[in-house]
Amino acid sequence: MMRWVRRLYVGLIYLFLYLPLAVMVVYSFNASRFSMAWKGATLDWYVKLLGNTGLMQAAAHSLLIAMVSATISSLLGTFIAMALHRWRFPSRKVIHTSLFVMMMSPDIVIGISLLVLFMAMSLPLGFWTLLMAHVTLCVPFVAITVHSRLLGFDRHVVEAARDLGAGEYEVFRHVVLPMVFPAVLAGWFMSFTLSIDDVIISFFTTGPTFEVLPLRIYSMVRLGLKPEVNALCAIMILVTAAAVFLSQRLLKEKP
Amino acid sequence: MRSDGFFKTAVIVGTIAWMALFAFVPNVLVFLASFGSASPENFIEPGFSLHNYARLMDRSHLEIMLSSLKLSGLVTLVCLLTAYPFAAILARARQPWRSYMLVLVVIPFWTNSLVRTYAMTAMLNTSGIINSVLLGLGIVKEPLAMMYTPGAVVLGLAYTLLPFMILPLYTALERLDRRYVEASRDLGATPIKTFWRVVVPLTMPGIVSGCMLVFLPGIGMFYVSDVLGGAKAMLLGNFIRDQFLTTRDWPLGAAASVTLTALMGVMLVLYWKSSSRLNAGSQA
Amino acid sequence: MKRLFFFVVSVFLASQAWAAPKELYVYNWSEYMPESVLEDFTKETGVKVIMSTYDSNEAMYAKIKMVNARGYDIIVPSTDFVSRMSREGLLRPLDKTRLKNFANLDPYLLNQAFDPGNTFSVPYLWGSTVIAVNAKDPAAAAVTSFADLWKPELKGKLLLPNDMRGVLGMGLKRLGYSLNEADPAKVAEACALLKPLMQSVRVFDSDSPKQALLNNEVQAAVLWNGEAYIASGENPDIKFVYPTEGFSLWVDNLCIPKNAVNVDSAHLFIDYLLRPEVAALICQEMGYSSPNLKGKESLPEEVRTNAVVYPGDAEMERGEFETDLGPAVKTYEKCWMQLKMAR
Repeated sequence: MMRWVRRLYVGLIYLFLYLPLAVMVVYSFNASRFSMAWKGATLDWYVKLLGNTGLMQAAAHSLLIAMVSATISSLLGTFIAMALHRWRFPSRKVIHTSLFVMMMSPDIVIGISLLVLFMAMSLPLGFWTLLMAHVTLCVPFVAITVHSRLLGFDRHVVEAARDLGAGEYEVFRHVVLPMVFPAVLAGWFMSFTLSIDDVIISFFTTGPTFEVLPLRIYSMVRLGLKPEVNALCAIMILVTAAAVFLSQRLLKEKP
Repeated sequence: MRSDGFFKTAVIVGTIAWMALFAFVPNVLVFLASFGSASPENFIEPGFSLHNYARLMDRSHLEIMLSSLKLSGLVTLVCLLTAYPFAAILARARQPWRSYMLVLVVIPFWTNSLVRTYAMTAMLNTSGIINSVLLGLGIVKEPLAMMYTPGAVVLGLAYTLLPFMILPLYTALERLDRRYVEASRDLGATPIKTFWRVVVPLTMPGIVSGCMLVFLPGIGMFYVSDVLGGAKAMLLGNFIRDQFLTTRDWPLGAAASVTLTALMGVMLVLYWKSSSRLNAGSQA
Repeated sequence: MKRLFFFVVSVFLASQAWAAPKELYVYNWSEYMPESVLEDFTKETGVKVIMSTYDSNEAMYAKIKMVNARGYDIIVPSTDFVSRMSREGLLRPLDKTRLKNFANLDPYLLNQAFDPGNTFSVPYLWGSTVIAVNAKDPAAAAVTSFADLWKPELKGKLLLPNDMRGVLGMGLKRLGYSLNEADPAKVAEACALLKPLMQSVRVFDSDSPKQALLNNEVQAAVLWNGEAYIASGENPDIKFVYPTEGFSLWVDNLCIPKNAVNVDSAHLFIDYLLRPEVAALICQEMGYSSPNLKGKESLPEEVRTNAVVYPGDAEMERGEFETDLGPAVKTYEKCWMQLKMAR
């Protein structure tokens, strides 16, 4: 009996998560341009979308930066979490506090203060500044998630490894990393989500050569949500879902 | 042994350097800016007065802060109650289902959240899907006015922030050793007691980090409130954005941001102090 | 051998310099310029157009100011920001000798207070704020002025723009003041007048106000004329009215930031947009009014004579352009905060 309750509960949550998406996909075929009333099915918006090179390019840029920043953030965040958990060093408490401060700052404050920093360093705005900004945004999320997982772990395992002669790097690679891997992965997912959705920080820290999707969409929505956007999001879901399932398959192939 | 020193030093130095540049410097700039005054020409006139903080202490500003905190707190609670059972079920699922389920949780959030929020309006408005179903089934006679209500805002925020609660809870629950639970049951504890006395404390780090990852960003998310709530509330996020963009009073915006951070900091410190006392007590 | 190598390298580099396509970086509101216009421009002139977007004048202003007006070649500010940015030296004066099609523009929109002599700006699209009502609702159908919106029958059925100046403008106009009123006492008066109206507001929305109207969530809305035009196209019950007390006119203008790099291409682009056929195309795709008089002539009859898109002279008399408020913006913001909290 409990099994069915559990399944029902999980099913309801998934329904809640996917219903707006389904709505979006359905509306991407809606012939009505401006209102939400159903006016017949059409593929027009997909066709228009493929012709809108600016939008497609912004989407490609977004995916690229999300993947790169998620990966870098996961690495950096994991290192920071480990350093905080395992070693004592000066400014340890300050860094721990800074992580929370970073998470609490409103996006616009982060965006503007980073732009001031980049201007002071005379950096040209574009891919690299955007990358640094996104990593700054995501690292606290990773660090805190990994750190909380580390908190629950048994120090004895690490001590045993050290007693057996393992260096810090070996301990990291063979003891700590496997233990926290689910948290690192969770951190990667969260970073990807944050990056692909970020509007305000991206607005201030990117340059004319590297436009990203959320900016386009955010301002598109202001002039009336265009159905092409629905079509684009539908395609993006398909692409990312396919990519993820594919990578799952590939990982399994390993002996 | 040499590699030992190098790795450790590299990580520590790298951490400090990166944090110093990207976390410390910008925040210090913000902090310093909060003492200045607005300048029409250069955004900020540097100064050393507390007048911005004094301005923030009046009733209307405090009300704004309070309503933002209440809203974010409510959303955190909703997320926690919804996500905990879900994460627990997920953590006990067998492979390969577990990986698929995890991935399925995350995929919706790789679409733009603004578009999803607008999709929610299609669901909630008077001629939307939910009302059509309810009217069609005869459950209600008049369409429910769900849009532009506080409930819609909470729903929208919870929807956007749910994975940030599910994922940390999942990582905590996944490493929960079932033997503790079994031992507790063997000793005669009821399921409820087992839950409160064994499971919750063991997963507390996950609960805390999940709550933080939802509560803190939630305070700044004003666009969900604008879209689903009809922009009728002035939340802290709106207020700070207005200061930076419309009124162009950057020092006031900076002061508001610093105040928010300080407030959160105080709450966190209080939490840590109380939890360490609890831990110390339980080890006695 | 060495000489050959250097020769080849220098020819290669020289060819790169020649082959390097000319570029134009345009910073515009999203989807505010049809793709076809950009493509045709590139085909004709060989200049590649790279578009970046923003969602508000304020954000664009902050960004341009912080990067010292460099990086973007064309921006599209509204009237109040043209006056502000020109005053702060962020805009480059336009070289009218390179804008042969300038004469196509409607003189009514030129030489206004926000940019005397059009030194810095060329109008791109313009519009006004109107009241749109659902004629099916009797209280809404009777609305002819801002004052009518205060009627108790409209309680909970109103949509107002989520825009400080838009809402305060309503109060100021009711009292017969200018939209650009800087006197704090008068602003406070307007504020007091607006407070009771807040109870009637169901939604504040500047992004997509026609949705609420089309979905029957509200019966009366204050919004831009382009939105009203589209809404009435989707639902013939939706009518519009130009408030008797007066209303705001907005113009989005093409400007060149002070330190722009591709100045020649920028002028080329502006001149291209001033062509009658291009202006007509833009106007039809975007749904807003074109400032191009010659272009207007080639528009279809029902658009040209549609009063919501092109208000008649009597209406235009009551229209007023928004200019920069300067430090007075603080009094507006304070009032706006109070209005939002007055529920």
